[in-house]
Amino acid sequence: MSETAVYGEAIDWESEDESSDDAEEEEEEEEEYTSSANFDKDRHLVYLQMMYELLPYHYQSQEINRLTLAHFIISGLHFLGATDRVDKDVVAKWVLSFQAFPRNRALLKEGEFYGFCGSRSSQFPIDENGDLTHNNSHLASTYCALAILKVIGHDLSTIDSGSLLLSMKNLQQDDGSFMPIHTGGETDLRFVYCAAAISDMLGDWSGMDKEKAKNYILNCQSYDGGFGLIPGSESHGGGTYCAIASLRLMGFIGVDLLSNDSSNSILDPSLLLSWSLQRQASDGGFQGRTNKRSDTCYAFWIGAVLKLIGGDAFINKVALRQFLLSCQSKYGGFSKFPGALPDLYHSYYGYTAFSFLEEPGLSPLCPELGLPLLTATLGI
Amino acid sequence: MHGRPRKAYKPEEEAASAAKAVKLRSLQSQFMSNHHHKIYTKEAIDLSTKLLEINPEAYTAWNYRKLAVEDTLSRTESNPDLVKSILDEELKVVESALRQNFKSYGAWHHRKWVLSKSHSSVGNELRLLDKFQTLDSRNFHAWNYRRFVVELTNRSKQDELKYTEDMICKDFSNYSAWHNRSVLLSSLLARKADGFTPNEKIPEEYKLVHDAIFTDEDDQSGWFYHLWLLDQTVNVETPLLTSSWPPHGSRINLSGAGCLKKLTTFCSESGSFPLVLYFDKAVVGVSSSTVRIDSELKGNDDLVWEPVSNKNAQVSCVWVARVKYMSSEPCVPKEYTVKVRIGNSPGIVSSRGCNFSAPYELVFTAHVHDTVQEVPQEAIVSWMDGFDIWDAQSEDLNNLVNLDQSNTQMDSKWRQETIAEEIDLFRELSDSKIGKLTLARLLMAKAMISENGVKGVHYEEILELYNDLMALDSSHYHYYKDEHSVALLRKVTSSNESLSGHLFRYRDLNNSVCLRLNNLSLSRIASVEKFLFVQMLDLSHNELHSTEGLEAMQLLSCLNLSHNRIRSFSALDSLRHLKQLRVLDVSHNHIGEHTVDTTRYLCSSPLSNSEWTQDEAGRQVPSLVTKYWDAYFVLRDLNLKQLDVAGNVIAGDEFSSFVRQVVPQLVWLDGQKLGS
Repeated sequence: MSETAVYGEAIDWESEDESSDDAEEEEEEEEEYTSSANFDKDRHLVYLQMMYELLPYHYQSQEINRLTLAHFIISGLHFLGATDRVDKDVVAKWVLSFQAFPRNRALLKEGEFYGFCGSRSSQFPIDENGDLTHNNSHLASTYCALAILKVIGHDLSTIDSGSLLLSMKNLQQDDGSFMPIHTGGETDLRFVYCAAAISDMLGDWSGMDKEKAKNYILNCQSYDGGFGLIPGSESHGGGTYCAIASLRLMGFIGVDLLSNDSSNSILDPSLLLSWSLQRQASDGGFQGRTNKRSDTCYAFWIGAVLKLIGGDAFINKVALRQFLLSCQSKYGGFSKFPGALPDLYHSYYGYTAFSFLEEPGLSPLCPELGLPLLTATLGI
Repeated sequence: MHGRPRKAYKPEEEAASAAKAVKLRSLQSQFMSNHHHKIYTKEAIDLSTKLLEINPEAYTAWNYRKLAVEDTLSRTESNPDLVKSILDEELKVVESALRQNFKSYGAWHHRKWVLSKSHSSVGNELRLLDKFQTLDSRNFHAWNYRRFVVELTNRSKQDELKYTEDMICKDFSNYSAWHNRSVLLSSLLARKADGFTPNEKIPEEYKLVHDAIFTDEDDQSGWFYHLWLLDQTVNVETPLLTSSWPPHGSRINLSGAGCLKKLTTFCSESGSFPLVLYFDKAVVGVSSSTVRIDSELKGNDDLVWEPVSNKNAQVSCVWVARVKYMSSEPCVPKEYTVKVRIGNSPGIVSSRGCNFSAPYELVFTAHVHDTVQEVPQEAIVSWMDGFDIWDAQSEDLNNLVNLDQSNTQMDSKWRQETIAEEIDLFRELSDSKIGKLTLARLLMAKAMISENGVKGVHYEEILELYNDLMALDSSHYHYYKDEHSVALLRKVTSSNESLSGHLFRYRDLNNSVCLRLNNLSLSRIASVEKFLFVQMLDLSHNELHSTEGLEAMQLLSCLNLSHNRIRSFSALDSLRHLKQLRVLDVSHNHIGEHTVDTTRYLCSSPLSNSEWTQDEAGRQVPSLVTKYWDAYFVLRDLNLKQLDVAGNVIAGDEFSSFVRQVVPQLVWLDGQKLGS
């Protein structure tokens, strides 16, 4: 996988093909799918461990490209309770090597973002004057980098979060949305979410204007109750997750929105609940949009939304579990649909979905961060 | 239409992919070197093309190309042909990248960037889109891009509307097409495009969506669109004044503190009464320039208008100003006419940017009585006895509440007809859950837009539908329950007869007007705009979670919330706006059963801004303030004389001593008179 995986574009819903499927090029050619009756933890461990070992961090760093894939592997291992299989120091060192720093603090106002870049191939060597001529720090990569560090228990207070957050401000647009990278890119809810998750993990909200971000999010709610990725677009499972998780992280909606105090409620929780519950299709799985096919990853994106608003009790969990098991590969990992090949992206969101279903032996889920629930959190 | 399952790899394919990887690695390092050294030669640019053909998500390569294009353009701007060929090349690269992966965010973004250089033609782009949308009619990148192109090129939205119709007719379940149709129609209706008046267009849309719904009742697309249409049918964009206190044509009796005169509408220690305006939508800009007061009551030329809603929000449905009737000079007891002119000068605007455009004048008379100085009463207020039945014969309710001030809209005829047709149609489908829900919504819509007193609004039927739904569909129980509560309160306020059945006078408190809405299993409060005159409100024995909505009841002095489902004092936050509130009963709720999650508040601790250390309670009992911070934030802003909290987990000696610190003026706590 490390050979063909090129640039990191991290959160990539509906990736039906290449971008996150590099992982299983090592897989056997023919797969027989027998839908198993149980979550096969041992096989998933084998699968992730293989992925972990194939990421030759410390000695072949030129080959390593995707912080995102590393996040899926390492956070996935944590869900499976196998953090001991990870060399934390090596991983931390490797992750930190992607962080970009400004030459001096004055540069922080120049418009560049100093976070983490997604891969070695988008990282330029520092020139002879010690200057960073090309800084490709990306919000999604930064989210993934911090997620990994958090999961392996690295002390996030040791990170130079000052320059990261101060320069993150440069990415926020007038309408409240975020650009992923200062050299330009599409702005949408994915990066608002990344910014909110980054701020939460670092325990410091000085890098974004929460009011503006909130207004942008509310502009993305459609008349059916869901959220599109940009204002005016069709409601989408990933967009809805980013909206609700960001609002929760920013403190604009409280725990258990539906049954609790709904005063100050800024969005329409009833419609949102209806729309989210209607995403569970007749096969038990969740779809990302109305009349689309069920897909493993939406079990997390929509399931987490329902969890965050306190509507998860209404999911048909038995049927969802059946659907997810039909996407479980006999070699470990999960695929997007029943009968497809597994990949790291859908495997990771398969694990988060099983954690959401409270599968015994899995770490509990922190739905708003999309990570295992970690006891020692910083800055809260 | 759906995702394609991937094929398994054959051995020769694996070999090929290994070779591909080697090639890619070398391309990559060459590309990085070019980028680093700012080399924008043809060879260098071609190399990035190759890279993008292999991996369309390579955003660094897209950004490199943008720099390369800018660089070349800066040298060739004078040659339009050259410029054209450069940008054409970019469009070609994007197209082949999209062929590789038509869900590539980077490629679509690059195309938008090229287009923003005012290049390409709408014809080209639509041809490309048709190609992709034929392959996958649900691709949201393509739909987003389509909207972008249409905006950028000013392509006729009517043509686009036709396109969505074609897509829908090909496949009713194409929700992306329905969605785009709603976006287009909203915009056409908003700018009143030719032939796009709601009364012509919306009935046509109902016909289209009927085809879909009656073809496949289980398909959600049509139902969502129907919900949107109903919203378009009922809601008018321009904000309207729903009600006010005092209402138009009323006569109010005002007196000073301690006055016990019968039928006093309002007495105040501060010598002012609240003037409340209730709009049907949240608005900004209510001020002394948009609302003019014309009256002999002195000192009211520059009234300060405050939004009655969450703190910091300048947008609100409810606005209040305090009108002085006993300023520095003692007021001669007499009758004063007050004229309030709303919206004569522009400035009142809804949060969606629509102006309040129908100026409204409300006139009422204020009768100011002698002030009788007496010892402030400290008798306990009982909810059990001391009430007189409302005498509908002798009391004119119109004097207190002016129902439906503005609900009759100019062009409501087509709306009423359309909804009536829909109701007839959906009675046939009312066996299914969605059919019942739609019918209930239609009947409520009918009630909303009907003129006051129009027969045929069947609240009983609506209530029954929601009862059925609660039994049929537990996952949406709370939603149905809330809607049931709304319908019930609409029913109560639908006529003076039904409302007066819930009204009483409380003898021991100046014959205050008391509204009893107890034991109705309400989970939500609604129709508050009809209750602005109420001074005592009994909501006991319901299923309320919060007091949201009550903030508009500026005259409220006594509130009974006992035996409800309030879980924390934060749920009572809206009461902080009620300056007259003296008596509060929240006994037998669930306060204190659940710890309040403080981790997600905007600051790390709600007490961290240290303002509380300034006040008496903060100095005396800091640990209790920290423990009961949610109660502290509500109680310190209220001027309560009587409070009942028994029957909550939070109640106890410790909480009582905390309350006495925070509310020093309190006289009665849980039925016990407090010693000084």
